Amino acid sequence: MSLATMFLQLVKGMGITVEIFFLTLLFSLPAGLVLSFGRMSKQGWLRVISKFYISVMRGTPLMLQLIVVYFAPYYVFGIRISSGYRFVAVIIAFVLNYAAYFAEIYRSGIESMAVGQYEAAKVLGYSRSQTFFKIILPQVIKRVLPPVTNETITLVKDTSLAFVLAEAEMFTIAKQIAAKETSIMPLMAAGLFYYIFNLAVAGFMEYLEKKLNYYR
Amino acid sequence: MNLLEINHMKKGFDGLEVLKDISLSVKKGEVVSVIGPSGSGKSTLLRCATMLEKMDGGELKYLGEAAAWEENGKCVYAGKQKKKELRKHFGLVFQNFNLFPHYTVMKNITDAPVSVDKVPKKEAEERAVKLLKQLGLEDKKDAYPYQLSGGQQQRVSIARALALQPKILFFDEPTSALDPELTGEVLKVIKELAKEHMTMIIVTHEMQFARELSDRIIFMEQGVIRQQGTPDEIFASSDERVREFIGKFTS
Repeated sequence: MSLATMFLQLVKGMGITVEIFFLTLLFSLPAGLVLSFGRMSKQGWLRVISKFYISVMRGTPLMLQLIVVYFAPYYVFGIRISSGYRFVAVIIAFVLNYAAYFAEIYRSGIESMAVGQYEAAKVLGYSRSQTFFKIILPQVIKRVLPPVTNETITLVKDTSLAFVLAEAEMFTIAKQIAAKETSIMPLMAAGLFYYIFNLAVAGFMEYLEKKLNYYR
Repeated sequence: MNLLEINHMKKGFDGLEVLKDISLSVKKGEVVSVIGPSGSGKSTLLRCATMLEKMDGGELKYLGEAAAWEENGKCVYAGKQKKKELRKHFGLVFQNFNLFPHYTVMKNITDAPVSVDKVPKKEAEERAVKLLKQLGLEDKKDAYPYQLSGGQQQRVSIARALALQPKILFFDEPTSALDPELTGEVLKVIKELAKEHMTMIIVTHEMQFARELSDRIIFMEQGVIRQQGTPDEIFASSDERVREFIGKFTS
């Protein structure tokens, strides 16, 4: 196999990798916020459930979670798994997992806010939702950007775990080629792709951080 | 009519009684200073009056309308809507300003009028410009709080409170986070407000300032009002404890 064909196949896999990446972020960032509300709720039962959920998601391998989400429809509901479900299962598992990490990041940000901000907003007459969305959340976003960057970079690399469901993302393809050609080159090339992807992610997050640097 | 009326206010934290039985009323145009040693309950009084803290017993009224009252020995608060309405009557200036760091000075002042009181943006901005001018900050409207000195920040927070056109303004030790030089510029602003007959309740350790400015001074200790009266009455108090306290601060 020529180097060019190999690259072409990897790039095709890269498309799926990028899809997993963006879809996961799209759903897990807001889902994490909702989960963090549960984690900080005044309702004891909601707090307990959220805490338990987060501990399971963080305490078990993502690879196992992928498998569980994929096979759950069959083993729990007896539904035959269609081949189209494979990609959906990958996204669901990633979102469920990453929401747990993001929830804890949000919580740390929200809890670090000075109580004076809430009090000032209250005396000025802001409603609870206005206080959160206008006053608290923008400041929280600025504070949590560095840990979110960390998590996002991890996500780029974690997408390779989708291989357990034989999803044709980049790493799966790289492994297949490597096996067929008995060469380590495809894996190295994949590594380079991940690295470049992460450079772009880090660059973008740095840009965001700078953008938010207009206040302290 | 009394703008503010507090009857038998009680407040405790974990069994510790901070306010024992406070009754106090403030008329329109009155400037009242609250002095007293740390832990006497001054700040708690202010926080209960501004509904940042729930009192355990007693009555709280703004312009004759009850925000909280006692029913069967329990303190009951008015509904959400009513509380919101009554909150419009007062403003509060915090010890450490609590400005919104992600908003410019202008936005800090105009955002609440626009998004809470639904004042048209243009009108809110005109109001803000006027206030900034009055407080000597007209060139700071595009600055962010971190770019300002403490004294400037506190003046912005006074402008932010005034922009909602409250009938009463509370100050919770407005100069305690400032050095003496910056303290002066904030006190000057408060004095000017007094000249315009703004009704104010000021918790402070600035005795000389309280003396010059107040119509009435309240001396608090251990959760009760130990003495209240005109500045002359308080400064020449027959109560040795009051005299001793004031002496420590004015010498």
